Amino acid sequence: MTAVETDAPILSKGSAVGQSVPRKEDRRLVQGQGVFFDDVKRKGMGYLHFVRSPYAHATIVSIDLSAALELPGVYGTLTGDEVAILTDPFFQIAAPPGGHVKDYALAVGKVRYLGEPVVAVVAETRELARDAAELVMVDYEPLEVVVDARAALAEGAPVLHEDCGGNLSYSGVWEWGDVDAAFAEADHVVSIDQLHFDRFNSTPLECGGALVEYNRGTGQWTMYTNNQFPGFAAIMMGPAMRVGLDKLRIVTQDIGGGFGNKITSHPQLVACCLLARKLKRAIQWTEWRTEFHQSMSHGNERWFEGTEVAVKADGTLLGFRTTAIDDAGAYLRYEPLGGVIWSQVAAGMYKWRHIRLEFTQAMTNKAPVSPNRGYSRMQQLWFTERVIDIVAHTLGFDPVEIRRKNFVQPEDMPYETPNGCVYDSGDYPRAMEMALELIGAERIEERRAEAASRGKLLGLGIGSTLDSGTNNFGQSQLINPDLQFSGNNEVATVKLDIFGEVVVTLGTTPQGQSHETTAAQVVADILHCEVDAVHVRAGHDSYWNSHAGFSGTYASQFAVTGLGAVKGAADMLAGQMVKLASMVFQCPEDAIELADGFARIKDNPEAALPFMALGAIPNANNAGFPEDPPTMNCRFVYRPPFDVPDKERKFGNLTLTYATQIHACVVEIDRETGVTEVVDYAAVDDCGVRINPQIVEGQVMGATAHAIGAALWESFVYDEDGNLLTPNFYDYHVPHALDMPPLKTGAFESPSPFTPLGTKGMGEGGGGGIHCICAGIQDALRAAGGAIVTDSHNPYHRVWEMLANPERSRGTVEVTSR
Amino acid sequence: MSVSTTSTHRTISVEINGTTYERDVPASLLLVHFLRDDLDLTGTHIGCDTGSCGACTVQLGSAAIKSCCMLAVQADGASITTVEGLASEDGELTPLQRSFHEHHALQCGYCTPGMLMSATALLEQNPSPSEHEVKVALQGNLCRCTGYWNIVEAVVAVGEGGAR
Amino acid sequence: MLLREVEYARPATVEEAIGLLSEHDGARALAGGQTLVNVMKARAASPDLLVDLADLDELRTISFSADQSALELGAMVTNTQVIGSSEVEVARPILAEVAATIADVQIRNRGTIGGNVCVNDPTNHYPPLLTALGASFTIRGASAERTVPADEFFLGVYLTAVEEGELLTKISVPTRRPGTGDAMAGITVGAHGTYLVNAAATVGPAGTRIVIGCVSSVPVRAAAMEEHLAAGDLSEANVRAAVTGLGATLDPPSDVHATADYRRHLAEVSAVRAVLQAAARAKG
Repeated sequence: MTAVETDAPILSKGSAVGQSVPRKEDRRLVQGQGVFFDDVKRKGMGYLHFVRSPYAHATIVSIDLSAALELPGVYGTLTGDEVAILTDPFFQIAAPPGGHVKDYALAVGKVRYLGEPVVAVVAETRELARDAAELVMVDYEPLEVVVDARAALAEGAPVLHEDCGGNLSYSGVWEWGDVDAAFAEADHVVSIDQLHFDRFNSTPLECGGALVEYNRGTGQWTMYTNNQFPGFAAIMMGPAMRVGLDKLRIVTQDIGGGFGNKITSHPQLVACCLLARKLKRAIQWTEWRTEFHQSMSHGNERWFEGTEVAVKADGTLLGFRTTAIDDAGAYLRYEPLGGVIWSQVAAGMYKWRHIRLEFTQAMTNKAPVSPNRGYSRMQQLWFTERVIDIVAHTLGFDPVEIRRKNFVQPEDMPYETPNGCVYDSGDYPRAMEMALELIGAERIEERRAEAASRGKLLGLGIGSTLDSGTNNFGQSQLINPDLQFSGNNEVATVKLDIFGEVVVTLGTTPQGQSHETTAAQVVADILHCEVDAVHVRAGHDSYWNSHAGFSGTYASQFAVTGLGAVKGAADMLAGQMVKLASMVFQCPEDAIELADGFARIKDNPEAALPFMALGAIPNANNAGFPEDPPTMNCRFVYRPPFDVPDKERKFGNLTLTYATQIHACVVEIDRETGVTEVVDYAAVDDCGVRINPQIVEGQVMGATAHAIGAALWESFVYDEDGNLLTPNFYDYHVPHALDMPPLKTGAFESPSPFTPLGTKGMGEGGGGGIHCICAGIQDALRAAGGAIVTDSHNPYHRVWEMLANPERSRGTVEVTSR
Repeated sequence: MSVSTTSTHRTISVEINGTTYERDVPASLLLVHFLRDDLDLTGTHIGCDTGSCGACTVQLGSAAIKSCCMLAVQADGASITTVEGLASEDGELTPLQRSFHEHHALQCGYCTPGMLMSATALLEQNPSPSEHEVKVALQGNLCRCTGYWNIVEAVVAVGEGGAR
Repeated sequence: MLLREVEYARPATVEEAIGLLSEHDGARALAGGQTLVNVMKARAASPDLLVDLADLDELRTISFSADQSALELGAMVTNTQVIGSSEVEVARPILAEVAATIADVQIRNRGTIGGNVCVNDPTNHYPPLLTALGASFTIRGASAERTVPADEFFLGVYLTAVEEGELLTKISVPTRRPGTGDAMAGITVGAHGTYLVNAAATVGPAGTRIVIGCVSSVPVRAAAMEEHLAAGDLSEANVRAAVTGLGATLDPPSDVHATADYRRHLAEVSAVRAVLQAAARAKG
């Protein structure tokens, strides 16, 4: 059920864009005919299994492969020593000292997290590879373990990477406005000892893996895999393997979910490539769930310590200062970009102008971190939402009113934040109104009383969030001024084949975001043909030459970058079709229009060329033209308009678009047990022009489900020896259909003034569910001790703790008033 | 077929989607790998290693079961339906498959075969299930893309006799 | 996720099955496999021989004892069978009610009541429930058959009175007498999820039995609480008084979901809820 109001559609009515066109992807997927990497087979392929470290931190003393190699059916192995000879360490984003990390495809000399791959074994069958892996004898000398980022930064902490001298990966002070003046002007200062955003990830149902072949004659590898950012993977792999990027062909078709967790598989891919070359056979590697949990792509755990908020008596928030400590895990693969990406939403949705955040990131003996749905912005937005909620709670303001007062207002748009980011458009108060209406906020006290009669504490929570999309990679220079990355790009090609078929290729790697369908909708409108007549190739293939350095699907950008490229290529093609028709009819171009699958003369629609004719001419019938007929084969690189940010001031536009999501929930807490249930939910989304409303709603739903899981059940918990206590779905509870609350969604459109179609990226969502469930729990607990929620993750035992000892959390918040 | 001798391999005969396959398999082979690797029926997927996610769900007779929690040898003599057996030979989708399509009940498609098999088993037993009954039937099928709301709606819609 | 090499047999009779289990060291009975296959995938256990009980039809029946005083469930009866059984509905419906909350449909279709009790994972549903119901377990060996009451059946984690070379053949559950109510209460991780703590209670003319699960390697009778309630006052006030101190007698584990103290607390809450619900059912 969706409330729809649209503003200023970019394309004319009757267009495919704006319609909930059913998906092209579905036909193959509902028949089990999708091609996921594990579905790809090659004769004689060898199955790879990794021998993984059972220790969180240890020196590798020796490796004995003899028993494994003696097993019949074992094709070969790869060790860290070989890798260190055959490859160079992966490029590091961090400046020194973090930049001195040496990261390879396998552990070299020591292991730094439990589950780290140490040896790769390849055998004739999956089972044999597993059997052989058990026969590999690795002798370890355990080292002291550190699993807390704050402890990792302390004097005397065990050091993971000796070359770095310590565990610091990045540290910087981010300050804008006049923070001291703001605190001097404040009527109240609210101090919050500690806020903690927990470690979890999105656990896509398909784990990592690849089928890798090596062509000896050309020296090229082909990887059928599910890496979702091939541009990044190739840039990392090429120099490490000492080969040009054209030797690394990455092919994806269907991917079983990504959510950012499939960006940093390049180490394992390198291991597969080396083995494919060494063993002269295709290598098949499929990661198992436990391996994924132990070693892949955890989200950033972040503490905000010593937060102080400057507030005026009337509830205006002037600014804040805080210290953020971030846990990167054992290696830096996409980190420390998390150390700057949060600043896209430094101010959250609020107008405060005075901000100081000291950001420090440390490495620990845990799985390496990589982007996770909402990457680094979600943590900052959760922080601002907790802050405003706690300020409201302690100073007696209404959570809705204080937001209304402090929101960036629609008339302020486009709004430049204190650090130079530009919020392109949006109407936060309207979105909040809609969410409150959908959740039935006016009836909440009635519901609260009814729940109390059943022994339940009821709470209403609001979570407002932004989904910033289309990165300016120049922000990387703010954490390492020597980096040579900036801007962004995406590529698409659109052509007419010889029989007039419209064929589109994308540089993206969709994992369920419906790129084939939405691209076809855009092309159909521009070429004035049916959506069914537009054929979009599934997935990504670097052979298509339809990609550039930043190609991939991540960071909420397809609707801008991918579709921007599609629009550019389709516009080019439309222009070419008009031009060719004008050449054929020998009339001016402005006399030609595209309509109903033809290029025709406006005043004489009988004079019409079907797409087939237009496609055939340049391809097969091109004699007799005084000038070259256009090729009908168009490649467009979309480049968003960015400048390189100011490194001194850490100032500049870091993201092109900001979608809005406001979530509201009703929670019920069992007074006796702390068991918490989300009993009602509403989510409102404004992502500018929606190409396909049903698909947009689907993304909002998925983000909601992820957030509910993270808020109540999902956490990567480590013990002090670095053992992961939630290594698979037994203990890491992924919510199922019975766990979900009823859901109402709402939407409206504030088109972006900065994008080719007025769209905004929105797939990640910004974690709105985590923010509103925290708020809901805190609201529910007001009637039972008034504990304050300071953790993003609130499983039953934590809620019970808050019920049993409310003064513990209350004691971490202090108000100093003038 | 009963055998009181012991062996590490067995010749099994299994009917899958109407075709009978006779193969010699190790006792240690999981049914899901038999389907995917031996018979190239790759529509059935693997999403976990603890029997939790349901991506591997197929019908054994009419019952939905997790093919990763069963050995191929246990399926000797059985009749199995996988996602490949739903649509007709000439590609006509079942009302359930069409309903998934109309309700946007799939995004990445990885959990979809398992969802379809669990829902098919439910609808065979209970042609007009309530929303709650659908959720109970799908409890053993995890999805990370959709949040389940559209999936439940799609199954209920089939029971109500058509698309929304 | 891949099993080690294993031998396999699929006997036609219970005698053959017992013969195989007795003759081969490292033989394990394979019932539904919902636990065993997963344990073997993780390579946490690798039996040498799997004795598949699938063809043993005599273990798949649900019937009444000759004198109608007990419901007899064959060890290979699946959870789905329990849920759909008219005998269960008539004789002891709590079995179906609890079976419907075990895992999910797919696992219930294959998982058996015998497998569930023989695994005796502390979080399993049947062990505390069957202990509260006063069930008894028939075990057949190569030379003899014996029946063991629930209080003596569960010996430790993954350990029961079924010894090597023996097979659990049936579970007998007393039929519910008039004035008896049964209930099971607890806290699960997510709806119908794994139990953190549970309590099963039976209230009736034969007295009150209260059993706590998930707090020890075997189900724990809440003996002091039972004694306090023996006189028959099952008012809420008295039940709450009866549970006082229960937590202190328990030594539950701490893990990622719950500390030992939290489990102690949940045990008390669950015990009260189970008894009150059973009492209400006994009346109604």
